[in-house]
Amino acid sequence: MAMIEIKNLKKYFEIGKDAKVHAVDNISLDIQEKEIIGLVGESGSGKSTFGRTLCGLWDKTEGEVFYRGEKLPSNYGPKDYKKFSKKIQMIFQDPYSSLNPRMTVKEIIGEGLKLHGKITDKELTEKVAFWLRRVGLEPDHMSRYPHEFSGGQRQRIGIARALIVEPDFVVCDEPISALDVSVQAQVVNLLEEIKNSLGLTLLFIAHDLSMVRYVSDRMAVMYLGSMVELGPTNDVYFRPKHPYTQLLIQSNPEPDPQGERSRASVGIKGEIPSPINIGEGCRFAGRCPHATERCQKETPKWKEVAEKHFAACHLYD
Amino acid sequence: MAKDIVLDVKDLKVEFDTYGGIVKAVRGVDFQVERGKTLGIVGESGCGKSVTMQSIMGLIPMPPGRITSGSAKLDGLELLNVSPEKARSIRGKEIGMIFQDPMSSMNPTMKIGKQIAETLIVHRGYTEEKALNEAKRLLDRTKIPEAHKRASQFPFEFSGGMLQRAIIAMALACKPKLLIADEPTTALDVTIQEQILDLLKELQTEDNMSIIMITHDLGVVARMADQVSVMYAGQVIESGSVDEIFYKSSHPYTIGLRQAMPVNDEHNSTKLIPIEGSPPDLFSPPKACAYYARCPYAMEVCNKQDPAYTMIGETHRAKCWMQDSRAPKNDDLHQAHL
Amino acid sequence: MMEIELNQKQTISTPRSAPAMSDNNKTNDNLDSFFKPAVKEDESLHGLSRPSLSYWQDAWIRLKKDKKAITSLVLVSFILAFSLLGPFVWTVDPNEQNLNMISQGPSFGSDALIANREMLGELVVDESIPEEPLEEVSPLEATESIEVLGKASTVGVHLKWQPVPGAYNYTIYRNEIQPNNISELGVPLFTTEYANELSYIDSLQLEAIPYWYSIVATDGIDEAMTYKTIEVTPELAYSLDQARAINPDYNIGDSISIGAHPFGTDQLGRDVMARLMTGGRISFFIGFFAPLLYILFGTLYGGIAGFIGGRVDGWMMRFSDFVVALPFLLFMILSYIAFGAGPGESGIVPMMATMVALLWPATARLVRGQVLQLREEGFTQAAQLLGASSWYILLRHMIPNTIGVILVTLTFAIPSAIFTEAFLSFIGMGVAPPNASWGVMSNEGIATMLNTPHELIFPAIFISLTVLSFNLLGDGLRDALDARMRSRE
Repeated sequence: MAMIEIKNLKKYFEIGKDAKVHAVDNISLDIQEKEIIGLVGESGSGKSTFGRTLCGLWDKTEGEVFYRGEKLPSNYGPKDYKKFSKKIQMIFQDPYSSLNPRMTVKEIIGEGLKLHGKITDKELTEKVAFWLRRVGLEPDHMSRYPHEFSGGQRQRIGIARALIVEPDFVVCDEPISALDVSVQAQVVNLLEEIKNSLGLTLLFIAHDLSMVRYVSDRMAVMYLGSMVELGPTNDVYFRPKHPYTQLLIQSNPEPDPQGERSRASVGIKGEIPSPINIGEGCRFAGRCPHATERCQKETPKWKEVAEKHFAACHLYD
Repeated sequence: MAKDIVLDVKDLKVEFDTYGGIVKAVRGVDFQVERGKTLGIVGESGCGKSVTMQSIMGLIPMPPGRITSGSAKLDGLELLNVSPEKARSIRGKEIGMIFQDPMSSMNPTMKIGKQIAETLIVHRGYTEEKALNEAKRLLDRTKIPEAHKRASQFPFEFSGGMLQRAIIAMALACKPKLLIADEPTTALDVTIQEQILDLLKELQTEDNMSIIMITHDLGVVARMADQVSVMYAGQVIESGSVDEIFYKSSHPYTIGLRQAMPVNDEHNSTKLIPIEGSPPDLFSPPKACAYYARCPYAMEVCNKQDPAYTMIGETHRAKCWMQDSRAPKNDDLHQAHL
Repeated sequence: MMEIELNQKQTISTPRSAPAMSDNNKTNDNLDSFFKPAVKEDESLHGLSRPSLSYWQDAWIRLKKDKKAITSLVLVSFILAFSLLGPFVWTVDPNEQNLNMISQGPSFGSDALIANREMLGELVVDESIPEEPLEEVSPLEATESIEVLGKASTVGVHLKWQPVPGAYNYTIYRNEIQPNNISELGVPLFTTEYANELSYIDSLQLEAIPYWYSIVATDGIDEAMTYKTIEVTPELAYSLDQARAINPDYNIGDSISIGAHPFGTDQLGRDVMARLMTGGRISFFIGFFAPLLYILFGTLYGGIAGFIGGRVDGWMMRFSDFVVALPFLLFMILSYIAFGAGPGESGIVPMMATMVALLWPATARLVRGQVLQLREEGFTQAAQLLGASSWYILLRHMIPNTIGVILVTLTFAIPSAIFTEAFLSFIGMGVAPPNASWGVMSNEGIATMLNTPHELIFPAIFISLTVLSFNLLGDGLRDALDARMRSRE
């Protein structure tokens, strides 16, 4: 049985009368025990909303999410958070805004333990010190304030805060995109190492295709609120099926000048359309080089196009 | 062969007074930009790459900023420490600039076409009508669909990618010799980034314009640059042609950056090797090599004295003691060149 | 394939790095032994070189570097201490009227004589001189000399002059400046009836300042064109009645010590300094409590609106927009009436009520904006995910992060409230006389602005300095507490 089962999850934001932003539209996904599933998409594709809805930070408009067979509530109350927060945690994107500037590192990391029951100060100090060491910081950094740390160190603090309550599923919402290249690898390696030693399951959301390819076991691609492709990472990256994924991966500049010089321009047309009140048809039809009349009218079905490799495109009917 | 140099920056040093003390943001930077070529400037946030460009553009607020030494010559004309009017007229006509956040470089209450026309009226003395027509032509040139209609729209009606095109149109208005692009695609998506980079390349060939591309993304550098300068803690620690920087990386920091990035090869599962630690605090920059604390090849000498540049190729140089003849031969360093 | 031959390569420095190169050459030989792998201490990697500072410590360091703000802080503390602690040191009753000391300029204490008219002696009538002169003399001479009889004090000045042949009578003039010609003699005090009256006692509102008395003889119809002037500085004196009101044991001729009035006295003889102190207490009371109340209310209102969000937020904010649109002065008058305060009665309560009722929306909006923003911040969401209750998030995450903004708002609201109080008292709608407030004092000072400007200038200076320093302090605080500047540096 999959650890997380997501069935037809929808999240719409009402932005006025008869206007809805289809941020997450009808996504179904099974997340297996101890895998890292990478989720890529351009900004505005709904990947962050998907992660937040999954955690319960947003109410679900429609659809169901099961955690080890148990249905998660569609609107979380504080009690639900308390119940599920030990299982599902999140690592946030911006290491600057995700740590309360008025709290010390000890207060930040220890917050979860304090909220979950009585704990003596000595135990708390020990646990925080343990986790500081675990994420590569010094225990005597405990009494310092977040602004004294660099971006990478702050992200480590954020990781310790999420993991101290010992969750087994962690949503990483663009954990590296605000960090410098030299620091990204530190954080990715740390996440991988902790994931392996603790047996965690990660949803790794990012727009950096190369990093997602590097870190994840399976890779999912979102476009305009819907999932267009999902499969084993190398299959998706090196043998993409959906035209959008193909163009996305071709557009990704590689740190290889000779390769880049010989590479022709991808020439993808147009811009991402507005996600407000999307009707029937393939969302990518407007920019797709293979679009037919059918793509404009009929929403393509989610189907297996290769082994364990899914896509939503009429090309594979 | 004499190179045709458009911009020649020498020994630029910039400091800032802050609450915490003096920040030495740029500590002796020099580079040259060839006509019609692209110079990529790579570095982490806080390495001084943006400050360098701002001082060339005269955008450093003084105080708290201060250019303590150096020169920047655009076709022989000095840009630093000249009268503000003179510098402004040179910059306005000869240098165009595009920023990371396109929204912040546009006046939100003014129609796009009019904003571009304004530049033409001020710097080229066009009449209003002529300027507006030229503005539409420029928008068309940057491949904005329905440029005529778009010219009379406001910035908020543009998407990020379209707005960046409009900024490029504005920067090109005076046919600059040099275009400075400060992280122009960081806020954009990969597919839109591809479009903008293609556009810049195309415009560069048409106008024989030089570009300085400031970015932290090695992929963008690989795609765009002819020459590359790698900056660290306010200094250029390695510079050379793009191939030399990528295939013959000679400074441990450049090597470190390459190893910290995933290689997209299905059959290569090399682990990422992160650079440990963080860049030094520029309130009190190290006296010797700034990379010493993070460098896996560090020698005792590196903590004693700041290394000089060593010429490795005709244009390739690195600021590292490992390039000194007395340094032990290091196989790791050789491996990394592959 | 693209390896570099490290050994064959020469070390050449570009001309540009000349300084570094010359450095190298100097010490080249000494460096040889250092080309071996370095042993680094662990700290160099994770070291945080700067000392750990909490938000408030950091803000205080920033504030200390802001000269304007610190000067203002010192000034504010000084004015506060002056008003709050001053009355314990300066125990003069601010409401005590001393009609001897009306509208006196600043003085620093003196002794006064207890005097009465007897001390000045009898008026001199020289019987040897006829009441009317026997012969006409033209032109008339000036008197030869003038002398002061008895003790010249503020009770009276007794002048005696030499008779002038041919004079019918004499006119006595007084001026506060020295006359240079006959047109500058000043106020005519008295004209004698007969030629043999040769002295005059002046007791017309005397102060302890120099006077110039001039005597002009008259030929019965016209005054002569000649005059004689004497300078007299009367000593400060109390009448026996006034002195005995203070201590019944006083007698004529004793001296009594008069308190200092560093800021002078007002038109009722009250000590301006004592009134500035008690006036300051009222000004500060209103200046602190009105903003404190409306900012507290605004914070709660805005906090709740932002935290609940949605439709409730919409309605609450519409209501605050409505309140913003209400005219302040009109409501001040209405509440003045509603509280039953008649003309001349104290309007402190209606004033506070109006301020609290009308001025909270600005704070509410500000706090709501902050809360809405904080709700989206990673740390509140993280706390939510960790199972924190709404109250916990509000108390632990939201309020500590808005307190800086609230503090800055308060610093700006205080001078504005002090100024409003002064303005309302000035137009007669605030604190009512005889209670002092800086506004009341300015209002009273207006009447005598030209003659005794100190009565207006001192309260005006206090109002201006307080308002200015609070504003400058607020500016400094805003800069010092600005979190964005901190994290990006």
